[in-house]
Amino acid sequence: MISKEVLKEALGRALATGADYAEVFAEHTRSKNINIISGKTDKIGDAVISGVGIRIFKGTRCVSGSASSLSAEAVLGCASRVADALTGSALIQNVVLRERIFGDIHPIQIVPADAANADKIDYLRQACLAAKDYHDEIVQVNGNYIEVDHNILIATSEGLLARDRQIRTRVSISSIASMDGENQTGSATPGARKGLELFEDFDPKELGRKASAQAVTMLHAGYIKAGTMPVAIENGFGGVIFHEACGHSLEASCVALGQSQFAGKLGEKIANEKVTAIDDGTIPNSWGSVNIDDEGTPARRNVLIENGILKSYMIDKLNGRRMGMESTGNCRRQSYQFEPTSRMTNTYIAAGEDRDKDIIASIEYGLYAKSMGGGSVNPVTGQFNFAVNEGYLIENGKICEPVRGASLIGKGSDVIMNIDMVGKNVARAQGMCGASSGSIPTDVGQPLIRVSSITVGGR
Amino acid sequence: MEYKEFKEAVIRIAAKMQIAEYELYYEESESASVEIYQEEVKGYGTENRMGVGLRCIVDGKAGYASTENLTEEEAASLIARALDNARSIESEEKSFLHEKGDVYAAGVEMDETVPAGTELMDMALGVQKEMYQADSRVSDGTQTYTTYTRGCYALYNSNGLDLEDRTAYGVCLGMALVAEGGELYDGSKRKTGRLQDFDIRDIAAEAVEDAVSTIGAGSVPSGKYTVVFSNKAMATLLQTYSDIFSAEQAQKGMSLLAGKEGEKIAADIVTIVDDPRYEDGIIKRTFDGEGVAAYAKNVVEKGVLCTLLHNLKTAANVGVKTTGNASRASYASVVGVSPFTFYIQPGQEPDLLAAAGGGIYVTEMMGLHAGANPVTGDFSLSSAGFLIADGKKSAPVKNFTVSGNFFTLLKEIEKVGADLEFIRGKYGSPSVLVRNLAVAGK
Repeated sequence: MISKEVLKEALGRALATGADYAEVFAEHTRSKNINIISGKTDKIGDAVISGVGIRIFKGTRCVSGSASSLSAEAVLGCASRVADALTGSALIQNVVLRERIFGDIHPIQIVPADAANADKIDYLRQACLAAKDYHDEIVQVNGNYIEVDHNILIATSEGLLARDRQIRTRVSISSIASMDGENQTGSATPGARKGLELFEDFDPKELGRKASAQAVTMLHAGYIKAGTMPVAIENGFGGVIFHEACGHSLEASCVALGQSQFAGKLGEKIANEKVTAIDDGTIPNSWGSVNIDDEGTPARRNVLIENGILKSYMIDKLNGRRMGMESTGNCRRQSYQFEPTSRMTNTYIAAGEDRDKDIIASIEYGLYAKSMGGGSVNPVTGQFNFAVNEGYLIENGKICEPVRGASLIGKGSDVIMNIDMVGKNVARAQGMCGASSGSIPTDVGQPLIRVSSITVGGR
Repeated sequence: MEYKEFKEAVIRIAAKMQIAEYELYYEESESASVEIYQEEVKGYGTENRMGVGLRCIVDGKAGYASTENLTEEEAASLIARALDNARSIESEEKSFLHEKGDVYAAGVEMDETVPAGTELMDMALGVQKEMYQADSRVSDGTQTYTTYTRGCYALYNSNGLDLEDRTAYGVCLGMALVAEGGELYDGSKRKTGRLQDFDIRDIAAEAVEDAVSTIGAGSVPSGKYTVVFSNKAMATLLQTYSDIFSAEQAQKGMSLLAGKEGEKIAADIVTIVDDPRYEDGIIKRTFDGEGVAAYAKNVVEKGVLCTLLHNLKTAANVGVKTTGNASRASYASVVGVSPFTFYIQPGQEPDLLAAAGGGIYVTEMMGLHAGANPVTGDFSLSSAGFLIADGKKSAPVKNFTVSGNFFTLLKEIEKVGADLEFIRGKYGSPSVLVRNLAVAGK
């Protein structure tokens, strides 16, 4: 992407005014998305992203710059512009760059750009047709295919020169069921850090039927009555509860600035003793995995909470300076245009010892949240919310009729104390997580869990 | 190479390959931003962004490709990719490019000089200092951000259209953190527009007041309530549901407003306007994402849906004239449909809280990307605000949800306030009063 000579020169220029650390992040990304609607390809997006982001640190201060070009002129110009914000003389001279090759534990069988559009369209079409054929109440099916081939290079004043190539593929099928002027939706959205071999993991027809089954079920569901009740949250995307209620508040970006409900609580009990939570960027071919983070630190498996005790935050280099702690390999950015910061990778609640049937049987009146939508949190107050896409009432320990329109809200520090039953069967699911450093792929996950009491929004 | 050269390269290669119909969409911007923590500059950044999107029409099918890498080889590859993608399109809807002949509004004069870092820093440090001084409970974690961006959008097509819009604006955001009784409370104030119009003290005072006013907030008992949505809360809902007014969504069966033109879809007192050059809008546009002249229109007038928003293709599909609402979310995006500055027209009612008598004044709603579904209209949203007692703003409340359906809500708006306010300079609303909404709390 950029020659070693230019990188060295750029680091030298960036350091010229007294910075104690400099970093060049370069990116060349090719992405494609294909949209099928009414069974026909409707739109195809096809983008090349190519540019550089440079940061310098002086203590806990950071100056950054970016430019949409990888030309030597643009890279060096950006380095000079960044250095211009400080007024001092160089502390570090003659950076010696040594390339490090971190192993790639995410093998790719079929590079998506090498395959024809037709291969991708055929798969999507099969899924969409199966979704449409599922039921005569299905009035529309929207199919999307996304591929990203993200090549990054990081060079720092510590002498590190590292690269990673991150290929990700995702399919999203969304069905609309309609009756008497009322619509309900259902979806299936698997993805992985894989190439087109992703298609072998999922039968397209099953994906389509899954999306439509959810839409049709919800079309015939009544609205849930609002209130506070126990909730059983299913595995897979159910893990969004930990992601929102707790995960964001453990990111150094808010912990370092005292903007988190969990700042200063390392070693303390912050969750129910049944809760062990892990952020693991090293799971092979997983959607949220990276070989190295966007500062060049190798990804790690970090135990965040062990049996209810807070063990670790998720830390990047800059916030680590303020906290006096090392990076945990969690620094991420959507692209060179975003300043990177600490983010999640694949985050999940580890398996517990409760049996699924005991969890359901323990609830006299409550909600079974089978499929979750997205959510959000204010890390300062811990107030979080997320939507239930497919829910059922539980009465006398049995799953009963479907209910629509539920959302779960609460305060993170309360809710993770209330996770009092944890099942054995962990599953993960894929999401896009949005925060200050952009939209990045993350996995959420958990086994079936019970939250003893939570506010359920409804009618 | 510069865009001008790149454009010439594309035109030259297209001519050689006998490509008759194509369009280039170019965006370029420059911005500077400052972040303050405690009373120091924590971060300073400068960004230069640029990219080009190409749309080729082959046998009525549109193929897209975009790039940030402006070289001669890339120009050829861009065309090849767009052609390949056009050949994969199966939809029978015909795509076409806009012809010359529209009358365009004059561009707006503006100062496009990105201010020096020190100017942005001084303003942000000023706000930060004022926030610490405004209340002794203001704590570390309080931050101020200032940003200035100038940019340009340019469109060229093979019918000879060659257009450009320019934009420049500043943002100042004060985020106050207040600690009281072992709990943290946050509040913010964002100003968007010309930096010289920003009042440092007002921004600081409003951010701190926003945080302090929530101290001690509890939940509310579940039940049905009269709800007054604050202007910003309602603008947030309007933004979330703006897609329901898109003819593209309607034609694809994803909006329940399909075929409802001319029908009552909202209360008589509701008028919704789309204005590309609204006086206090942040970005003023003279043409849309396909080069059609942009103009102001009522989308809903006294409760009646006048028109959906169209681009060239959605309009041709149903035999109407485009409303000039083709959108490109960025140069890398395909053409879609979206409003410009979009707002509910203010009414006459001076005090909605008095009109409500009791109930809940909702000032904040969260998680709209998940808890509000534009296809079904359903929403169930985590909210915060104040109780209304004796027609006045009373105790702060949080940790409750407000649920309903946006299509029903539009019809049930009982009163519209006079206090029009915009969020992010694009979506606006006055406060509105709605009765009998479901609230889940304690």
